[in-house]
Amino acid sequence: MLKNYLLVAYRNLLRHKGFSFINIAGLALGLTACLLIGLFVHDELQFDQFVPDGSRIYRVYTQQTTTETPESHASVSPMFATTLKQEFPEVEQTMRILMTGASLNLLQAGEKKIYVEDGLIADSTFFGIFQLPFKYGSPTGALDGTSSVVLAEEVARNFFGDVNPVGKELKINSTTVVVKGVLQSGLDKFHLKINYIIPLAAAQLPQQRMSNWGWQQFYTYVKLKPGADVRQTQAKLRDYLTQKVQPTLSENDKLTSVPYLQPLHEVHLYSSSFKYDSSVKGNITYVKALGVIAGFILLIACFNFVNLATAKSMQRAKEVGIRKTIGASQQQLMLQFLSETVLLTLVSVVLAAVLTSLLLPVLNDFTGKKMAFDLLRNPALLGLLAVLTLVVGLVAGFYPALVLSSFQPVKVLKSAVVTDGIFGRVQWLRHGLIVVQFALSVFLIVCAFVVFQQVSYLHNKDLGFNRDQIMFFPMRGENMNKQYETFKNELRQVPGVVAASIGYGFPGDQVAGDGLIVPTNGEKKEYPTTQLMVDYDYIKTLGLQLVAGRDFSKELTTDKDHAFILNETAVREFGLGTPQQALGKTVQWPVWNDKNPDSLKVGKIIGVVKDFHYKSLYDRLEPAVLQIFPGAYWKVAVKLKGTDVGSAVEGVKQVWTKFSPENPIEYRFLDDNFDEMYKAEDKLKSLLWVFTGVAIFVGCLGLFGLATYAAERRKKEIGIRKVLGADVSSIVALLSKEFMVLVVVAAVIAFPLAWLAMSRWLQDFAYRIDMPLWAFGVAGLLAAAVAFLTVSYQAIKAATANPINNMRVN
Amino acid sequence: MLQINHLEKIYRTEEVQTKALNNVSFTVQEGEFVAIMGPSGCGKSTLLNIIGLLDEPDGGTFTFAGTDVTHVTERRRAELRKTHIGFVFQSFNLIEELTVAENVELPLIYLGVGATERKEKVQRVLEKMQIMHRRNHFPQQLSGGQQQRVAVARAVVNSPRLILADEPTGNLDSSNGNEVMELLTELNEAGTTIVMVTHSEHDARYAHRVVRLLDGQVVLENVRV
Ligand SMILES: Nc1ncnc2c1ncn2[C@@H]1O[C@H](COP(=O)(O)OP(=O)(O)O)[C@@H](O)[C@H]1O
Ligand SMILES: [Mg+2]
Repeated sequence: MLKNYLLVAYRNLLRHKGFSFINIAGLALGLTACLLIGLFVHDELQFDQFVPDGSRIYRVYTQQTTTETPESHASVSPMFATTLKQEFPEVEQTMRILMTGASLNLLQAGEKKIYVEDGLIADSTFFGIFQLPFKYGSPTGALDGTSSVVLAEEVARNFFGDVNPVGKELKINSTTVVVKGVLQSGLDKFHLKINYIIPLAAAQLPQQRMSNWGWQQFYTYVKLKPGADVRQTQAKLRDYLTQKVQPTLSENDKLTSVPYLQPLHEVHLYSSSFKYDSSVKGNITYVKALGVIAGFILLIACFNFVNLATAKSMQRAKEVGIRKTIGASQQQLMLQFLSETVLLTLVSVVLAAVLTSLLLPVLNDFTGKKMAFDLLRNPALLGLLAVLTLVVGLVAGFYPALVLSSFQPVKVLKSAVVTDGIFGRVQWLRHGLIVVQFALSVFLIVCAFVVFQQVSYLHNKDLGFNRDQIMFFPMRGENMNKQYETFKNELRQVPGVVAASIGYGFPGDQVAGDGLIVPTNGEKKEYPTTQLMVDYDYIKTLGLQLVAGRDFSKELTTDKDHAFILNETAVREFGLGTPQQALGKTVQWPVWNDKNPDSLKVGKIIGVVKDFHYKSLYDRLEPAVLQIFPGAYWKVAVKLKGTDVGSAVEGVKQVWTKFSPENPIEYRFLDDNFDEMYKAEDKLKSLLWVFTGVAIFVGCLGLFGLATYAAERRKKEIGIRKVLGADVSSIVALLSKEFMVLVVVAAVIAFPLAWLAMSRWLQDFAYRIDMPLWAFGVAGLLAAAVAFLTVSYQAIKAATANPINNMRVN
Repeated sequence: MLQINHLEKIYRTEEVQTKALNNVSFTVQEGEFVAIMGPSGCGKSTLLNIIGLLDEPDGGTFTFAGTDVTHVTERRRAELRKTHIGFVFQSFNLIEELTVAENVELPLIYLGVGATERKEKVQRVLEKMQIMHRRNHFPQQLSGGQQQRVAVARAVVNSPRLILADEPTGNLDSSNGNEVMELLTELNEAGTTIVMVTHSEHDARYAHRVVRLLDGQVVLENVRV
């Protein structure tokens, strides 16, 4: 019996190839989106689940009590670990990781030197808390002493190849350490990024700091004994702080935060707003939203499937009539049509599985994850797909099956005018869903256009300086730092180098902020100001424009210690009048000087530069001051000629090696720095295009189903109209009208929503485009055009059919 | 075999009510060949559909092989249809996605007959209808006469006691039409009861008896001489 059903299903599929194709393609696309989202969500939820005893591990964080809105800090005082271990019997183990910020460290083994990030400095109890699998060596005692290191597998392979490196030596920033173990690879679902771990003891932090409750520099983890109640521990910890710790602290050092114990399994997803947190973060809100979106996509896909199948069922009415006449029961027919949809779903699922494996690398690239979609090695996944097939097949097939199987043979064998009962009457539902789909399309089209505009604005806006062909790198090694003057001079000699500048505070890089004192009317006012520590070549190298005064000059000895250049914003905000008027006025700066923290640098304003964007366009321009300050000569910018960049870079490298042979050079180009800043926007842009494409396609499928249905239903009417003299265009217009109304409604709903969403998004940028009104017009027209093409295909087909054929059947 | 008493059938549409059958009574004996005649729209098909348990009457009673089937469940109707009744239509009504053999096999599938027995029966009936060589063709590839032979084959494959034919020759030329009539006669001679709706006096001559309808009423029942 089943064979017969499937045979008919298969032949039906082939007979209506185009129809089958769009139906299968639509469902497959929806399923693919769901699968990809599902994989992502699953991956996010899997974070830290592999850690043994994970349910007993907690991270200590604090919530500030003094800030306006509660602010959570992931880094806490080293004393938390000490106290928890000493005073709380239910604590099995504690462990601290020193917060170091994103720093690159030079690792060296033999001749091989590589800068490596994500090195942890942790208590030797690290592996007592996190029992990570070792490839070589053993976790016991791996972080004992002060000169041990545990490497990630990738790092170990980089330095030592595929041999066991345990016992071998390695230099980290010229300190020699011994490899005690190598972690197994595949820690991509761990909330800490690890390239290597060295013991905290190696940092040799002074005891007086380690017992300081105010030094919030550590990520702290505790493992409770089995059966311990974390809420009790947390409450006890708070009591301990208020009763035992607070009274011992001086008024200025009182604690202003409350500690929390965060379950390990929540660290990844529930810390998105945490400050001073360098763990790999997800966001539970996104995960939940994505789950909802996946469900919605599946729903729409099923709905479109039902829509198309029901529309098509009109053409299967005769078959139903015959089968019933011969003696088929309604149940048998239900079963037949259900098995058909399950078959169709199966094809879609297989297609979706193929698409998913094809697209997964793209998604992995995009999200930086290592998700796998390996059906052969993951029977659970296979089972899931089987369940998905069955559920979607049954859900999507139930309604059409019910409609089809309830046709009465007497009626269907006699006439071609068949209505599908309930679904035909709940037209508002069909139309409503179509409106929702098209509103979504219009919304996405508008967003895509706006984001596209803003992103190209970000990349192309005139930043007030010339960012092209500027090589940029930090200085390294004592020799280079001492002889920076000669180093710079030699750089300048390299053919192809136009200018070179050493300083701190280059565009796209970190900048320092500090107060600048401006005496006005006998009063000293201090303004927060960006401090750009520069040399005599900074303005030239970056191509800044002076609007008043002059650049720093070596010839004038006072420029070194008694001269400042401001940007236009500073002149304006300090109330110094016009740039011209600002010249010659005195400003003061508390010099960065360890020995004499109170000393002031006093100088005159010798020039004003045109505003330039040294930060991303998210940030409003702030007052900035340029001054000669060799104490912060840490970074180098080298302006190259446009031609033969390659050999100029080679030349720069050679000079580097001469001054710092022990360190490899690590350079980038300044414009890359800027492009890097808008990575998230670039991703959003491409994501939006994809989503928009899918939304339009899916929306069209829904519309196509509806149009097919309408054309089928009005076949006879169309035939009569034609006989009476209606031409094709008037019939196309007749059929299209009711759908174009839906698109208009969709646009009316989508426009204000898109406006709101995009205004909000643009708000985040200090520098942004005006809301492009054309985006709305174009989005509306585009949606209407696509909808019209979709509908008119059916309409034209119906309008050009021979009217006699359609009338005779009745 | 069939006993029809005071049958009524009214079609209601939004504006009008049509009395398709009005107090129709007659009987058909086991082994009889009855023709129903009358002008278009007089209710012939309606009557045949009720006899074939495809439709329910609004009044009167209908007894099939001794049991009252006027108001039985749809499940029971389907059951009776597939075991006892074969249908032949003017427009053949073959399933276009199935081959000749598969179309003929279909009733046996619904009856739950085993695969080997199905094959045998299908082969036998196709041979009898002289359509064996076309067994793997699809209906669209056959002539009208051939299609109707397939339809007859399908109607008789499970050896029903009753065959209902609604203008079986209406879409055929005279020679093809005669062929189908010969087939029906043969079946009748083998013991199958046949009720046939027809427009053609020529076809009606194959029947033992003619029931004439006019405006939903039996106007004449005459036995063929
Ligand atoms: N489904 C229906 N709905 C409304 N009226 C119908 C329907 N089927 C048949 N009729 C009407 O009932 C009458 C008898 O029809 P029918 O039995 O098909 O006639 P015949 O087969 O003799 O040509 C006709 O007037 C026809 O219009
Ligand atoms: Mg008729």
